[in-house]
Amino acid sequence: MASAQEILSLYRQFLRYSRQFENYNFREYFLRRSREEFRKLKEFDGDTSAIIEKAKKELGVLRRQSKISQMYHFDKLVVEKVKKH
Amino acid sequence: MFPASRFGCRALAMAARQGVMNPTTHRWPVSCLRFYSSAPTLTREIVMERITEMLECYNKIKPGTPLTEKTSFAKDLGLDSLDSVEIMMELEYEFSIHIADQDQDSIKTIGQAVDYIVKQRDAC
Repeated sequence: MASAQEILSLYRQFLRYSRQFENYNFREYFLRRSREEFRKLKEFDGDTSAIIEKAKKELGVLRRQSKISQMYHFDKLVVEKVKKH
Repeated sequence: MFPASRFGCRALAMAARQGVMNPTTHRWPVSCLRFYSSAPTLTREIVMERITEMLECYNKIKPGTPLTEKTSFAKDLGLDSLDSVEIMMELEYEFSIHIADQDQDSIKTIGQAVDYIVKQRDAC
């Protein structure tokens, strides 16, 4: 059984790596998906260890793919928020 | 050199050759110069304003909820631990800083977040 601290730390890493995607569509998709999955996990009662193991594997995929995404240039979309300064 | 500035110089040189400009009385047009300055330093007020603006856009907080420095994320805004992690990540992104895990856990109110960000020298 994973502790709340461990799950929150995992959630943080999911959000951090999702944020690093250069492509808007991928970035928003992974942010949305991470949020949804962790919401579901919060509602879930029972043994979460299998889910956590799977999430750790997916985090590895996410990390690698976000790095690959950073190697390419994607034009900003009109809907994207541009930093104020 | 940028094409635009090269073009600007050539136009000026042509104007001078044609005798349009008298070098003794002519002043350089101000529009040729560009001034840049760094962003204003982060004060408590600016940080507070930006955090308030950010939180107002957050869909889990009801519009019109009073946001002060004493407002607690969990108690006053009714956010759970996943939400507060999300807010911390938004703060990191907004101010281009990295908030360590244990610091994220210790930030419970808006005022504490402001304190933390003001202390970060690389926040912008």
